[in-house]
Amino acid sequence: MMDMTEVLLEAATLMGVGMIAVFSFLSLLIVAVMGLAKLAPPLADIPEPSQALPTSPQPANNATVVAAITAAVQQYRKAQ
Amino acid sequence: MEGLIKLWSETGLANFEFGQLVMMAVGLLLLYLAIVRKFEPLLLLPIGFGAVLANIPNAGFNDEGGLLYYIYHVGIETGVFPLLIFMGVGALTDFGALIANPRMLLLGAAAQFGIFATLFGAILLNAIPGFDFSLADASAIAIIGGADGPTAIFLASKLAPDLLGAIAVAAYSYMALVPIIQPPIMKALTTKEEREIQMEQLRPVSMREKIIFPIAVLGLTILFLPAATPLVGMFCLGNLMRESGVVDRLSKTAQNELINIVTIFLGLAVGSKLSADKFLTVETLGILGLGAVAFGIGTASGVLMAKLMSRLSGGKINPLIGAAGVSAVPMAARVVNKVGLESNPHNFLLMHAMGPNVAGVLGSAVAAGVLLSLVGG
Repeated sequence: MMDMTEVLLEAATLMGVGMIAVFSFLSLLIVAVMGLAKLAPPLADIPEPSQALPTSPQPANNATVVAAITAAVQQYRKAQ
Repeated sequence: MEGLIKLWSETGLANFEFGQLVMMAVGLLLLYLAIVRKFEPLLLLPIGFGAVLANIPNAGFNDEGGLLYYIYHVGIETGVFPLLIFMGVGALTDFGALIANPRMLLLGAAAQFGIFATLFGAILLNAIPGFDFSLADASAIAIIGGADGPTAIFLASKLAPDLLGAIAVAAYSYMALVPIIQPPIMKALTTKEEREIQMEQLRPVSMREKIIFPIAVLGLTILFLPAATPLVGMFCLGNLMRESGVVDRLSKTAQNELINIVTIFLGLAVGSKLSADKFLTVETLGILGLGAVAFGIGTASGVLMAKLMSRLSGGKINPLIGAAGVSAVPMAARVVNKVGLESNPHNFLLMHAMGPNVAGVLGSAVAAGVLLSLVGG
């Protein structure tokens, strides 16, 4: 029975030390991640869609203009 | 005539021992759970089949020179298979939700209380005659509460190889049972108002943060807990391959082909440990019971921690997400989402629960490292 209480005590210590270790390690990681957010400009490489916007209408516009011109040319040739 | 008798003496029928038949039945039960009930089929199917193969008389799968002997020897005794799986899991994990809200790491830490409380419980079980768990055994059993298959197998192979079969089967069975075990605990510990809390949308996370994150995690592990570096290191390697964007081929292989191949062998090797003399003991019953307790306590402590954080933040955190702190990715997060939707059909908690969920993976790897360095040495 003496042995039993000894092992139980050991297990309880392990429980305490383990939880403290896990908590302090992950707390440290929290600090690290928060620092990371400060270091790396959070949105540095995200605004791709805003770059894509002005460029995309251009070819679309061109296409409609080209279509309109071809249609006009064809009509003109038919009329002749 | 003599030939016939010799042939008869070589048949399975003449050589079956009762224990082998029981273990084959256990294997078939696992196959049933995998195929009909769809419980973690990717693992329970090879484990179940491995159990059947391992208990065939005269086939010698588990003897030196047998197939399962070598698979176990090469992959699990060395710890290689669980670590390769962990690399694949790293490649499958998106830390975005955690980086956006790093406080969620506290939930992943709180849920690990299930592990350490179970360790105490396993030692307490020694008071009952028939149980004789050493501190190393108890640690290997307790890691079931981490709800992380590869971590459990890795730790069991290092601390208590004799109990590995029972521990792995318990870990994967309870992971499949997460949708049944967790909701009652979550509901008992929270009020309806708390379950209805809606959380703010997470900020977008830049690619640079996602790339630096695994390196930072590894750096901290190297500095403070080198015993956890096998697990955390492989996990971070997988994650870096995913987020760096320059090795898509490697990342895809780690996420698909490699993890699938290793899963087949891991399952078979675990199944090979389901032999009658190792599995048909009262200790197995104890392990199954302790595993359920570990899951329950982990869920409860995660929810309670989330409740505390919710109070401190002035009601900005839904306490349900604490339940996702017991890894079991992504099942636990889905359960959180489901329970949240039951209280408020417009409240989608999935993304918020992914934070504590992946924090739980890190938390159980750290807990495994702590146990290894305190008990394994």
